[in-house]
Order: sequence, then structure tokens, then C-alpha cells
Amino acid sequence: MRRTARLLSGTALAAATAGLLAAAPAYAGEADGSGDLRIYPSSVVPGDRATADTAACGEDGTAAGDASAVGAGSFTLAARGPEGEATGEFRVPPGAQPGTYEIVARCAEGDRRVTGDLVVTLTSAERVYPRGSVKTGVGGALGPDPVQTAAGVAALAVAAAGGTWLLHRRARGDGM
Amino acid sequence: MRRVGNTAIAAVTAAALCSGAWLLWGAGSGPPQPSAAESRAAHARQAPAAPALPPSPPDRVRIPALGVDAPLTGLGLTPTGSLDVPPADRKNLAGWYEAGTTPGERGTAIVAGHVDNAEGPAVFYRLGALKRGATIEIARRDGSTALFTVDVVEVYDARAFPDTKVYGTAPRPELRVITCGGGWSHDTGYRGNVVAFAHLTGVR
Repeated sequence: MRRTARLLSGTALAAATAGLLAAAPAYAGEADGSGDLRIYPSSVVPGDRATADTAACGEDGTAAGDASAVGAGSFTLAARGPEGEATGEFRVPPGAQPGTYEIVARCAEGDRRVTGDLVVTLTSAERVYPRGSVKTGVGGALGPDPVQTAAGVAALAVAAAGGTWLLHRRARGDGM
Repeated sequence: MRRVGNTAIAAVTAAALCSGAWLLWGAGSGPPQPSAAESRAAHARQAPAAPALPPSPPDRVRIPALGVDAPLTGLGLTPTGSLDVPPADRKNLAGWYEAGTTPGERGTAIVAGHVDNAEGPAVFYRLGALKRGATIEIARRDGSTALFTVDVVEVYDARAFPDTKVYGTAPRPELRVITCGGGWSHDTGYRGNVVAFAHLTGVR
């Protein structure tokens, strides 16, 4: 946001309107940045640690986290992710009540505010586990490994060449 | 001299014929499947478990023994409650169960990927060849890499899939890596899944 504004500051005349226009797509469909702060795990039991991360603060951006809604106070989000996402941890107090809490982070640069939901449950048994097998292949349609097929075809080509050569020699009566 | 030449040509021809035929028809057309030695029945002593890490979503999975190095996408559940799968058209993309445990955290983290797609072998094609003691690395968004050691590699039929054993919670940080396997039939596709069970043994 600030970077956008800085880029546009040279064009003094339409700076204000252009800034508004440029800002519009950045915020389109995400309103106040709700959901831009990802919380892992999204469901915790009191006493557990949770991680918040966001890409909204840009590359190598840091942010100030606020988990006071759940009684965990403030925490810092540092740029630790592989793409420079800001990541931070907090501990849900052992006395936290079950419910959904809004966790907030404010980017150090640009003052952008992002939020995410943390669900506190009394037992971790509420977590839903997958059931059954996983459909991770089609098979059959493709036949063997292409490298293996190529090697097989090459070997048969060698065999055919060798056979032809031998037959040639025999036909000429060479040493057979 | 000429006779030796003929014998050599005949030998090479025969060898090429045999190996070509074996490569095309004899070596089996499916992905490798785990041997009995890697299964739970042959359970041996495990490497000591490392302490759990704080939760952090994973970004990549690496299995050096299989040459696997793939990004991870978040997976949910299908309407029937089974684990969803990554898009099939991206053959080097694996996924992790986003609503579950993050890899390295206490509990059971789940990673799944395709064994093949319409074009050929995919990210976990060789999972069935993974050996006990091999390392699975999960690069996490907090910058750490969780190192898991393979305990067993099993193959399960889809009709009797042991949900609790595969997906159930664990008292220490564990990982499951799942792909298709267990034979193939024209009507139903792969009959089950190959599952690698691993536990956290280090952090980098």
C-alpha cells in the first residue's frame, strides 16, 4: 500500500485519485483482510501453542500480533517463511474458554490489518480425521515407466540388429 | 576369429532380446510395492524420537532416497470424508491434511501425493520402494526442517483401510506419507494405498 503510494507520489497531479484506484484491486474481495492471517492449528485446546502467519505484509515484512482476545496478549510475527511470510507463535492460556477468537496482526510497514480465526475446544478429539483410502493414482492407462519402455525398445532394437547381422553372415556363408 | 565374432554377436543378441523382453513385459508395469521386510510384522528397534516442535505449516517434502523434492499444497476432505488429493495434472505436487496436525507437532501429520497421472509416474511413484530407516524431510514455514525416520512401509486394501492406524492421533510427532498402490484392476483402478509410517527424529 505504502509502496504503491510512493510509486505514485511523483505524479503529483492525480496522486490522490490514482492512489485510490491502485488501492482498490489490492483490497477487492478481502474487505478488512479477514482470513489473511492463517492460524495453525485452526483448532486448539487450552494450553496449546498456535502459529499465525501471513503473506499480507509483503516480502520480509514483519507484523505485531494481538491474541488478547483469547488472553494470550501480544506476539511478534517475524519474516521467517521461505517466501518471506511473517510468522509468529503464541500460547493459548490453560484457562481459555472454548469458542472462536479473532487473532489480529498489523503489518509493521503499511499499517495493514489482517485477522484470522482461532477455535478453542476443550478436547482435541473434536478434530476430524480423514477416513478410508486415498485416490492418488489412475494407473493401467499409462503402462510401464516410460524410461523402462524406452530401454526395453532399445534392447530389442539391438537384438534385431544382431540377429540381422548373423543372418547376413550365414547367407554369405561366412564362417558359419 | 570370425567364429568368436559370431559367438559374441549371438550372445549380445540373446542378452538384448532377453533384457528387452523383460523390460517391456516381465518387470511389471506398476509402481514398486513394499516388501514384507518393510512391513510392521518385521518391526525392529526404532530411532529415538525427537521432542515435538511448535505447529507450523509445511512447505516442501523431500525424500532423498527416492529423489523426491516437491512443494506441498493444503488438502481438505471429500464429501465422503476421505482425504482429498492434489490436482492430478501437477505430477510433482504433494499435499498435506491442513485441518490436521502440522508435521513436527505432536500427533499424526498426513502427507499424500499421486503415484501416477494420465501422463505417467507422479511424485510418490517410488514410495513403495522406501526402506525402513530412510529419512523424510519436511521444510516448514517457520524456517525449520523436520526430519522423520521411516518405521514401516505398508500396503492396505481400500476395502479394509485401517483408519485409526493411519490417521489416528499419536503421543509423539509422527508422519504418514500416502499414495496409491496395492495392485491395479481395470474396473476400480488401484486397489488400495501404500502408506509410509515415520516419526520425528531430528530438526534442522
